[in-house]
Amino acid sequence: MIQHIKVHEVLQQSVAGFYADLVTRPTGRAVRESIERALPAGTIAVMDFTGVGCLDYSCADEIVAKLVREKVRVLLLRGTSDAHRDAIEPVLLGHGLAAVCERPDGTLHVIGAREPAAALLDELVSQQVAARTPGGAIALTAA
Amino acid sequence: MTRLVEVPSQFDDRSFDQFAAAYAQATADGERLLFDAHAAEWASPYGLVGLLAAGEAAGKREGGGGERPLLTVPSSAEVVSYWARAGFFREAADLFEVHGKVPKTKPATESEVLLPVTPVRAAEDVHAVVSTIQQRASAILAKELGLDPKATMGFAMALSEACQNIVEHAGAGGWVAVQAYNWRRKLARRVVVIAVADAGVGFRHSLEPSQAKRFGDRWGDAAALEAALIQGTSRFRDPGRGQGLAGIRRYLARWEGKVAIRSGTARIAIVPRWDDDVPLRDGLPKFPGSQVLLIIPEQGSAQA
Repeated sequence: MIQHIKVHEVLQQSVAGFYADLVTRPTGRAVRESIERALPAGTIAVMDFTGVGCLDYSCADEIVAKLVREKVRVLLLRGTSDAHRDAIEPVLLGHGLAAVCERPDGTLHVIGAREPAAALLDELVSQQVAARTPGGAIALTAA
Repeated sequence: MTRLVEVPSQFDDRSFDQFAAAYAQATADGERLLFDAHAAEWASPYGLVGLLAAGEAAGKREGGGGERPLLTVPSSAEVVSYWARAGFFREAADLFEVHGKVPKTKPATESEVLLPVTPVRAAEDVHAVVSTIQQRASAILAKELGLDPKATMGFAMALSEACQNIVEHAGAGGWVAVQAYNWRRKLARRVVVIAVADAGVGFRHSLEPSQAKRFGDRWGDAAALEAALIQGTSRFRDPGRGQGLAGIRRYLARWEGKVAIRSGTARIAIVPRWDDDVPLRDGLPKFPGSQVLLIIPEQGSAQA
């Protein structure tokens, strides 16, 4: 079963003040801890960044990298902007980690370290969460 | 007895060492300080936040008697008005005994002051800074500097990381200011400048427990800056730490920008091709805390 995380909603619930930006370590830590409480270990999770403004490296590290490293089997990023990915990718690379990213057309690609990248898409396909499209790309079958 | 610290007439990162030398000399004996800015003709955001850091450090000196330092305001009405609109006096009032007429002006919302001098003490302040700058900077960055509109988010990210260095490492509050202006002297182009300063512990003190042994005899302010900016080390053992300055470097490299950090007796810079700054200086006059300068030039126009 795929777990869904709406990051903007978690941000609103986790920190005092109405913020749209995921910046600073304390904010990232609060958001991650909220996510972790609702997320069983070893799951496949979709993290939706729709509505999130600025994402800095501190939050990318606190939320994305730590969840990939310690909590989820596969993390699929949805609704990310170029700027979000600019923050997430170097952080993942720094840890030797990777995450799956959903393009606006629904196809998937992997960002982060090369070594774990190939295995992530294989994992999604083998779990029948994703499948090859007629064009040869990989897209989610549900969710 | 009061010791005089003269504020340079053109007060920016280039004249900062002159100011730091005067500060170091004046603080040698614990007497009360007078910061004399009467001859100031212009101050960059770096000069303004640096002056606040000096004021804070002077007021907290051991043997300083807890007395606030004195500050004489610029004699030029135009200059003092600009400092007021840049938000300087709002912060200076808590740090200095201010002498001279200061106009009761709210910090500006005019185009060149993208972010008036703003205190940074906690994560909430960083959130406020990032939110404000996204509202104010987008049009300036895109229309006046020719940056891709998507670059605004990266700009906010760089600003966030620069401010977080204060919250995470300085052990004291600090200030940030962002301005856009024509940099006639150097580039004959418009630039956006982010200046962040604090009077906290500095990079050397922050990194000493984890890095001093590795550097051995080389350890000092310059080595600490090198470790932080070039090698991306952090005082925290967590491998995810130290990404902030690396991210700032990446962002500035993309837009031919410049980053310079002064801390203690050293200054390090990533120098773009349009600038002739020195990458690393050591043995500078000692100054408290850390001062960070980020410059992004108008695109398609930076000349060597």
